[in-house]
Amino acid sequence: MTDNAIRISDLTVRYGRTIAVDRVALSVDRGAVYALVGRNGAGKSSLVRCLLGQQKPESGETMLFGEDAWSRRAALMQRIGVVTEEADAPPEMSVASIARFCSRLYDKWDQSSVEARLKTFGVPLASRFGSLSKGQKKQVSLALALAIAPDLLVLDDPTLGLDVVARKSLFEEVIGDLADRDTTIFITTHDLAGVETFADRVGMMENGRLVLDEEVDALKSRFRRIRFAAQPVAIDTAVLRTTVVRSWGGGAEAIVSNYDDRAFERMRGTSDIGAAEVEAMSLEEIFIAIAGGKS
Amino acid sequence: MFAINPTDPAPIWRQIEEGIRRLIALGALQPGASVPSVRDLAKDLRVNPNTVARAYQRLTEGGVLSVKRGEGTYVADQPSQPRKSERNEALRDAATRYASTAIAVGSALVDAVDELEAAFPRVVREHRRKV
Repeated sequence: MTDNAIRISDLTVRYGRTIAVDRVALSVDRGAVYALVGRNGAGKSSLVRCLLGQQKPESGETMLFGEDAWSRRAALMQRIGVVTEEADAPPEMSVASIARFCSRLYDKWDQSSVEARLKTFGVPLASRFGSLSKGQKKQVSLALALAIAPDLLVLDDPTLGLDVVARKSLFEEVIGDLADRDTTIFITTHDLAGVETFADRVGMMENGRLVLDEEVDALKSRFRRIRFAAQPVAIDTAVLRTTVVRSWGGGAEAIVSNYDDRAFERMRGTSDIGAAEVEAMSLEEIFIAIAGGKS
Repeated sequence: MFAINPTDPAPIWRQIEEGIRRLIALGALQPGASVPSVRDLAKDLRVNPNTVARAYQRLTEGGVLSVKRGEGTYVADQPSQPRKSERNEALRDAATRYASTAIAVGSALVDAVDELEAAFPRVVREHRRKV
């Protein structure tokens, strides 16, 4: 037994001379929600393919519940629900026949849960898949993924192209499932605002590398935007690490990546900082600061 | 009930804890009243159910909520107030943040105090209206 639902170590994926995933290591505890972000082409999709046993890594391994994702794929897929970026099925098939088809692929299948969820979403079983909106296709995909009561739910950019209402209903259903069972969730997304209140941990990929992997609470507690009313700013960078500093009106703005109330107050007391306003930042603002601070 | 603010420096579990305490302090949640289940509140606030559970657990340990097995979670018959030292600390933290905002926008102390005095009854009124 292991407490990790996912344990990826030293994972490298290469397509010809292109390195898509570069020595990535990350773990996700059972019952935790992990959000992976990064720009298109950062390597998220390749990592998800490894997670689902669809891609043999060049080196390293992806372990799910202590079993190798590549060699134990068939058995593991019985425990993993997947909602892909582009929910896809033959357009002429009805939702009911898609569900029937999927039910044969799995040992356990809760058809009544599929029907209940589709009812909540307002998607009739008789509707042709091709006639559904993008949001409805995702809802069908989620209802099917949850029908096996998965131990791990992999959501690959689930809210891409969805409107606000469809996003809300999708997240509500996922949160409800999280509350009912101790599902582990791995989600890749561009929608940081959507996941920031319910992800336990976030990772950020850039050029195949995992450049950040941290608890959301810890990340949010160490980042602050400080607005100084005057320039120059007498900030002691030995105490507060600044990621981005730029002029702002008559003053300056600094993004601090190791903020600590007491250190700042001490600094305020000993140096001539002048008026300064400290603001907490949203996950999205933090990621922009991290990405911007590097380039 | 209340909203979660992602750019609030306080972690979400503490925002929930404070939100429930505030509703009780304002009389919106009476002693003995049932509070939403972890599942419902998590869906409502769109937060991780574990985060709600953590806030509820802290409130239960602090004597604010009580759990009746199989029935749900209720406001305690005599919900305990935060200790004076905790209350002072919370106020000092919030006051420091407020004071830095006031200074940053160039407000005089007397104007900042006026705003606070106006905000107090407004918050009470808004919560009463929601009940």
